[in-house]
Amino acid sequence: MIWTGLLARAIQMSTPLMIGSLAEVYAERTGMMIIAIEGIFLLGAWGGFVGAYLSGSMFLGLLLAMAVGVMAGSVYGFFTIKLKQHQIVTGTAINIFAAGLALYLYRVFFGVPLLPLTVEPLAPLSIPVLCDIPLIGQALFNQNILTYIAFLIMPAGYWVLFKTPLGLTLRSTGENPEAVDSAGINVEKVRFLTVLFASAMDGLAGAFYSIGFLGLYTNDIIGGRGWIAFAICFLGNWNPMGALLGALVFGLADAASIVIQTSGFRLIPNEFLIAIPYILTIVATIARKQFNVPAVLGVPYVKERK
Amino acid sequence: MAQKDKQTPVDSYLGEKIKSREGSFYMFLWPVFSVLLGLAASGMMMLLLGHNPFLVFLKLFSFAFRDMYNVADIFAKAAPLILTGLAFGFAFRATLFNIGGQGQFYMGCVAAVFCALKLYFLPSFFLLLVCLSASMLAGGAWGAFVGYTKARFNASEFLISMMSTYVALAIMNYMLRGPLKEIKGEYPQTDVIAQNAWIPTLVPHTRLHWGFVLALGIALVAYFVLWKTSLGFKIRAVGMNRNAARYAGIDEKRVFIVVFLISGAFAGLAGFMEVNGIQHMLVQGFNPMIGAEGIGIAILGNAHPLGIVLSAILFGALKVGGNLVVQTSTIPSSIIGIMEGFVMLFVILSYFLQDKITTRRSKKELRSKEKGGVSR
Amino acid sequence: MSIDHAVSLKKITKSFPGTLANDEVSLIVEPGEVLALLGENGAGKTTLMKILYGMYQPDEGEIFIQGRKVTIRSPHDAMSNGIGMIHQHFMLIPVHTVVENIVLGLRSDSGKSCRIKEAAQEISRLGRQYGLEVDPYALVRQLPVGMQQRVEILKALYRGARILIMDEPTAVLTPQETSRLFEFVREFTDAGNSVIFITHKLNEVMEIADRVNVMRDGRMVGSLRKEEADENVLATMMVGRELQLTTGERDKLPGKTPVLEVKGLYVKSNRGNMALEDLSLQIREGEIFGIAGVSGNGQEELAETLCGLRRKESGEILLSGIQISGQNALSMIREGIGYIPADRHLEGLVLDMSVEENLVLKNHGEEGLSRQGILFWKNIRDLARKKVKDFSIKTPGPGTRVKALSGGNQQKVVVAREIMIGTRCLVAVQPTRGLDLGAADYVHKVLMEERSKGKAILLISTELSEVMTLSDRIGVIYGGRILRTFDREDADIEKVGLLMAGINGDKNGTEG
Repeated sequence: MIWTGLLARAIQMSTPLMIGSLAEVYAERTGMMIIAIEGIFLLGAWGGFVGAYLSGSMFLGLLLAMAVGVMAGSVYGFFTIKLKQHQIVTGTAINIFAAGLALYLYRVFFGVPLLPLTVEPLAPLSIPVLCDIPLIGQALFNQNILTYIAFLIMPAGYWVLFKTPLGLTLRSTGENPEAVDSAGINVEKVRFLTVLFASAMDGLAGAFYSIGFLGLYTNDIIGGRGWIAFAICFLGNWNPMGALLGALVFGLADAASIVIQTSGFRLIPNEFLIAIPYILTIVATIARKQFNVPAVLGVPYVKERK
Repeated sequence: MAQKDKQTPVDSYLGEKIKSREGSFYMFLWPVFSVLLGLAASGMMMLLLGHNPFLVFLKLFSFAFRDMYNVADIFAKAAPLILTGLAFGFAFRATLFNIGGQGQFYMGCVAAVFCALKLYFLPSFFLLLVCLSASMLAGGAWGAFVGYTKARFNASEFLISMMSTYVALAIMNYMLRGPLKEIKGEYPQTDVIAQNAWIPTLVPHTRLHWGFVLALGIALVAYFVLWKTSLGFKIRAVGMNRNAARYAGIDEKRVFIVVFLISGAFAGLAGFMEVNGIQHMLVQGFNPMIGAEGIGIAILGNAHPLGIVLSAILFGALKVGGNLVVQTSTIPSSIIGIMEGFVMLFVILSYFLQDKITTRRSKKELRSKEKGGVSR
Repeated sequence: MSIDHAVSLKKITKSFPGTLANDEVSLIVEPGEVLALLGENGAGKTTLMKILYGMYQPDEGEIFIQGRKVTIRSPHDAMSNGIGMIHQHFMLIPVHTVVENIVLGLRSDSGKSCRIKEAAQEISRLGRQYGLEVDPYALVRQLPVGMQQRVEILKALYRGARILIMDEPTAVLTPQETSRLFEFVREFTDAGNSVIFITHKLNEVMEIADRVNVMRDGRMVGSLRKEEADENVLATMMVGRELQLTTGERDKLPGKTPVLEVKGLYVKSNRGNMALEDLSLQIREGEIFGIAGVSGNGQEELAETLCGLRRKESGEILLSGIQISGQNALSMIREGIGYIPADRHLEGLVLDMSVEENLVLKNHGEEGLSRQGILFWKNIRDLARKKVKDFSIKTPGPGTRVKALSGGNQQKVVVAREIMIGTRCLVAVQPTRGLDLGAADYVHKVLMEERSKGKAILLISTELSEVMTLSDRIGVIYGGRILRTFDREDADIEKVGLLMAGINGDKNGTEG
């Protein structure tokens, strides 16, 4: 019983990590690091909640989350790609800004409610027959729609990135943008569109926490998990399937810490259980040698420079 | 090629953009504009809540300078920001990204409050010295860990320092819930520390303590180290061209560790400032953005100690102003984060404009020169 | 003319911050012609061609292809007009395969397949047709440089280019590979196509071009037919004045005692295989030992080992008879080995630091310049002033950022520093790369002077003429070892060229 609960929870918690890390893989493959990822997750969580609460429709909530993500991403993209400013600087500014903005706009919409506002979180969708498989059935096939989407886009993301001309272009942009330029492709456009895609995904991932899981919004709902998705891109070697694996591992760590906490096992202090995913990231980062760093990661492409 | 550093393109681009802006006189005008624009944009956000921004700012200014308390508070708030700003900025000079200032700050807080609580019997001067040293050691060690992983494993210091903050948070929360918890046992916080562990006040009847002077001193030390010592020379060389530094016989691994040690110590010291200087205790969830704000301040200050001090004072003013706005109206405190964010974005925009103007000017110079005979 | 020119550029002007790269430049290329575009580094040749290829936009001027005015806004437009470019620094993705590189960016309306299998077949066919065979599925980074260039050429041919722009294509080739390239060029133009050949090498111009255009300081200073041109005329046009080049005349002979000895050196490359295998050499007092060879045969690894940046697996390095461990760069610096690196921007200078800071980059910890870790900037500045004067470094002052200096003066800073450090031995790798004739000549003069002072100098260069002019002895490196050593008088370009390609009895021709 504990095992099934743990597995179910693990898969659930890995969903936003999958979506976020796939987004980051795509962005970094073109040479862009989405440093604003934590802020975009947060804005997505906000957008998802506000959309769902005001309209009563989960779908609209998710849509708003993605839209908010795209807006934030376009600001980030504008500063880093068009204005060629530094990604860490701009991303940090957006993260600080997003934290204040999300809370402020929550206040604008809802004032100061006596009790925290809630929505019914995304209901799980059982897949008939499959969900009756012993041991794993309930865990794998009784999840909400976002989880199923996440599991579908990972292999799809892999296929697009490695088996299509579009993917070739993306990967080449992060390796040698001059070569891509000389092939007649607009490097800035490729990067900007990828950033928009990635930030839409990040918004969606953030919304998972508010409307897919908890059913409410607080300012620390993301708690650094945007950064974990960021790290998973590195750890997964910039490969969607590697990211899938990484997301599952971290989802498991997250779930394990919650399960242990609620089980009343008192030997290890709660705080350390909460810290497991982060410690795991540190260990994994040390262990991993950066094989496939896209060669120009983080560098703005300056075209007419002698 | 001998381990050609993949970070070199970023380094040289950075070196061109940010560090080469030093020495320009206009340097002061642009931040002022950015602040004004940032405030204006925040003002528009206030409209959303139905407040008239002009009235809000008017009230703010009338309150701000009414007495010394608020003015002094600006510098009190600036003190730890100078340090977290230096933390990021110092590491940035070596093109290292210490994102873990928040965590190093927490460790400094824990160390300072621990010493203050356990060693309360020491005379004030020694007690303060112990707390100060403990906070720097704790922060420095926490930072040095990141530097070590970079030196030994070539791990991404960005990720590791980022994650180390969350681990530090866990440690601090654990301490607050357990070993360091107040006697009353009600809340996750410590008791108030003894009077002799309080940093003496600089200006009476305000919160401004001698820590501010200490912070200025540290900024001076940072300047001296970077530009007047062999170590600083190596740090800057590694930051501007890691390859050339390697070819010049500079041990970059040692530089990584030393830089993170110093950087972490700065952030840890900020913990001492806040615990012994302002809060006089340690509470869960306090100053959660001081690390990120330090990053913003370092960027605004061009990673230069003088710029950092001025930017920290600016942020201090934003905070005090923001708090006043919150107190004198029903605008929520999140407006402060919004103001800071807007100011940062406008400053980044101003960097772009500055570069554009310099470029256009040099193009014009060329055209007006007699044709031909140009040197590159 | 009744036949339209293949390409006509009219009054092209282009400026960048700080430079007027092209100043009302005009140029004509006829079909079936090889036009050489000659000029020193920085003359504006590459900029002009990048404008033709759509990578840059001109500030002013017009472009005509076959008599029709065209606007070329991107390489895509250029390619639709039949223009292809083979860049000096290859526009290739090392971690991708040949096919992937060739089909990158191919649009569906181009008429060519971008499906990997079909493209691979077409690439093989093209390769056979033009004598440019390459394995389509090989990873580019595993190909030797000569083969990589074929990929660049095939990229253009695959898109049906009729006008090929080649930017310094022979910089990375052996003499034999260069001949093969020239054969391709002649075949290509015999079919009615045109080639624009950018180079700064006078001898190549004489060999391959039908016509020569000379650029200098952003302007087109002359256009000559092959018959009208000779090397002296071209050199004068390139430089704008009479130039007395260092001829390598020597007054002294090298001494007898070896200063630097390398015995049986085994060094690993970055990829894990052995870059140097049982390499041995000896350099005597007051001698310049030149190493000739195609890039990638271990020269870099040899230089890095000698300056302490790379560990040796086994073998000995001796300085004046005493073994040195060469553990790290600092120890080699202390031993008195100076190192002029191949890439001054990447390895030699910190561009954002000042002249004085760069001059003391290696020895700032020494007596007189610092004590207990604190730097004496006054002494450093005095030292810098002296060096600026001694080496005629053109700079507003020792506190100026090195970035603001011209390439030649930047190299002077490096040279000044390394001569200061290299009290016994100097290792110079590609010391004149990217320098104009005057600056390159200065570097040669300085090397000869140091030679007269009795230092042992190791010169590593892919520029064969440089090696042959300056060296007392020449060693040809191939596959990580010195195949043969020639004395100055015995060296001739044929023999050396063959050895550079590994032809010493065996017929490999590819890098080790």
